[in-house]
Amino acid sequence: MQRYPAFDPPEYVDWSPDPEVMRQFRATIEADSGRRDCVERLSVERLVALYAGMVRFRLHDIFLKRWVRQGVISKAWLGTGEEATTVGPVHALDRGGEEGDIVGPMIRNAGACHEMGMSVADMFRGYLATADSPTRGRDLHIGGREYGVITPVSLVGSLAPVIAGLGLAFRLQGSKRLALTWVGDGATKTGEVHEAFNLAAVQRLPVIFIIQNNQVALGTLLDDHHAGADFSEWARVYGAACAAFDGNNVLDAHAATRWAVEKCRSGEGPVLLSAETFRMGGHATHDEAEARELFPPETFAFWGRRDPIGCYETWLLEGALDLSTGEPVAPGSAVESNRAVLAEAEAAVTAEIESAAEEALASRTDMPAAESAVEGVYGEWPDTSNPGPAPFY
Amino acid sequence: MAVITYRDALNQALREEMRRDPDIFLMGEEVGAYQGAYKVSRGLLEEFGEWRVRDMPIAELGFTGLGVGAAMVGLRPIVEYMTWSFALLAIDGIVNSAAKMRYMSGSQFKMPITFRGPSGAANQLAATHSQALDSWYAHVPGLKVVAPATARDAKGLLKSAIRDDDPVVFLEGELLYGSKDDVPEDEDFTLPLGVSEIKRPGRDVTVVVHSRPLHSALAAADTLEREDGISVEVIDPRTLRPMDIDTVLDSVRKTNRCVIVEEGWPVCGIGAQIVDDIQREAFDYLDAPIARVTGADAPHPYAANLEQLHFPQADLIVKAIRQVCYRD
Repeated sequence: MQRYPAFDPPEYVDWSPDPEVMRQFRATIEADSGRRDCVERLSVERLVALYAGMVRFRLHDIFLKRWVRQGVISKAWLGTGEEATTVGPVHALDRGGEEGDIVGPMIRNAGACHEMGMSVADMFRGYLATADSPTRGRDLHIGGREYGVITPVSLVGSLAPVIAGLGLAFRLQGSKRLALTWVGDGATKTGEVHEAFNLAAVQRLPVIFIIQNNQVALGTLLDDHHAGADFSEWARVYGAACAAFDGNNVLDAHAATRWAVEKCRSGEGPVLLSAETFRMGGHATHDEAEARELFPPETFAFWGRRDPIGCYETWLLEGALDLSTGEPVAPGSAVESNRAVLAEAEAAVTAEIESAAEEALASRTDMPAAESAVEGVYGEWPDTSNPGPAPFY
Repeated sequence: MAVITYRDALNQALREEMRRDPDIFLMGEEVGAYQGAYKVSRGLLEEFGEWRVRDMPIAELGFTGLGVGAAMVGLRPIVEYMTWSFALLAIDGIVNSAAKMRYMSGSQFKMPITFRGPSGAANQLAATHSQALDSWYAHVPGLKVVAPATARDAKGLLKSAIRDDDPVVFLEGELLYGSKDDVPEDEDFTLPLGVSEIKRPGRDVTVVVHSRPLHSALAAADTLEREDGISVEVIDPRTLRPMDIDTVLDSVRKTNRCVIVEEGWPVCGIGAQIVDDIQREAFDYLDAPIARVTGADAPHPYAANLEQLHFPQADLIVKAIRQVCYRD
């Protein structure tokens, strides 16, 4: 994809595929026969949609970063470098809106919102806090009920039991739906997450938890808050099914989640997935310098070579499938036609994001009215002499 | 009408509502096979099965979140805590998740969930199992808070709480479960949230009181009528948020004197809010400073004699009423 030197992590600016990293990328998919079969069956449309989804997420971040620099917003929480852990799993779900599966994204999984069907314009409006934002300006953590995205609880760890509760509701309703959320390595240290894992496991709820280990909890390195086993071992102690996937390999993420979805649909949930990945920036836009000081440069270089978009793009370009025809070809013989297909997809997404940004900026003429601050605190205020919440004094 | 216990009145409310609406389910520690730590859920597992009467592990925060999630997709969970003192572990889920979900989602998600369980002192269960944290919850926009003092109110208000589309904190008196009252057996009987009730009409002084201390206040009123000829009007707000303050104000404008009683601690208590409302709306009607009788400003002691002293007993209320009537 086109690189954006002013906004990309430096490791991405002149990104080119590292042969060893690409060998590992392919080996990861080959390692498990179930996942390999799943990947082999993916349609061209799906393959391109996974690519477009990650590009959409990256551009969403880049546009937000630009707004921070321009002073349009004060800061933004980005998923740069972690796109595969979000986009791969979401594409494994039934994205049927109000009747489909439900996700509870952390702020670092913003890409889940647009891949579930929310418009990027609405996501941007969330940041701009316009009156027409999904939360009417109440929060930048946005959800979309009609798209199967719950409005996140911003406290880390708090989403885990809420998602388990969705699973409980689906069981009670006799439905085949499932719920999925991500749990950061930082949030794995909250008691709430462990309560949720146990509650889901003991009741066999159709829920997928993805432990997204990006190696850092705001400014605390993994080693400083985690002395236990590999996250992929955790599920066993709860009596839940588990698997690990490469958090920078969208195909592995997708295939592993497909497997987890099947488990849940057949009543063998919950599933704990774990993914190793890396946050290529700060906790938010304000502390990118601190993040660079926190890790040695080699760590950024290591993960920089594993840019999930660059790796996947390379895999598609050099692969044994002609994306323009859908026909199998000798590996590496359809590079140019595949490049054209991906460029077309990227151009469409870029245009989508540009127009979403324009639309959202235009909404700033309509900021939330003062009286709206005390509206919607309750659904129904009892018929009583008490007037209820007072407007601003 | 039938004379039944507060416990059975709650049980009737749960049963009738669960029969009426299949989206309602009960969850909490020991609510199923054990039939509730205080036997409020007796017989419900048998009638409704294990998916609608869900036993939960000792994980108050976790199962509160479970309830919140279930409420987001159309169910109406009733979350039982073994006591409200133990629900301190769950307060993050109640305050940060349940109370704010409608607001923070821009009204995309409603939150029809009832949190209920016993509150206040019991018999010698000491400081971590005796607290009346009513004002903590009443402080929070997004929550409704109900604290019934009688079996009739318990039934009628719990039914309304369950039917409400907002999160309701329902504080049951731990020592009220065995108390008896005339309770309508009619399935359609409900009492609206946010409506005070004059429990005893009077002319000379207004007492505002909720939950178990209501019974202390009524005893105090009897004593004062008999010994001093003072006619006490006793008002139970029943709902602490939103509180029907007009009934209190009307009474104070009539009696010109007021005593506010609560089981909780004095600082920033429910009574402090009522004092604020009265001084703002009825200042010129007052003939004496408002008095408050509260739980002692200390953790609850275990020793039975000290525990008694901690509670706003009738003799303290008598003393406070004489004081505002300048009869002490």
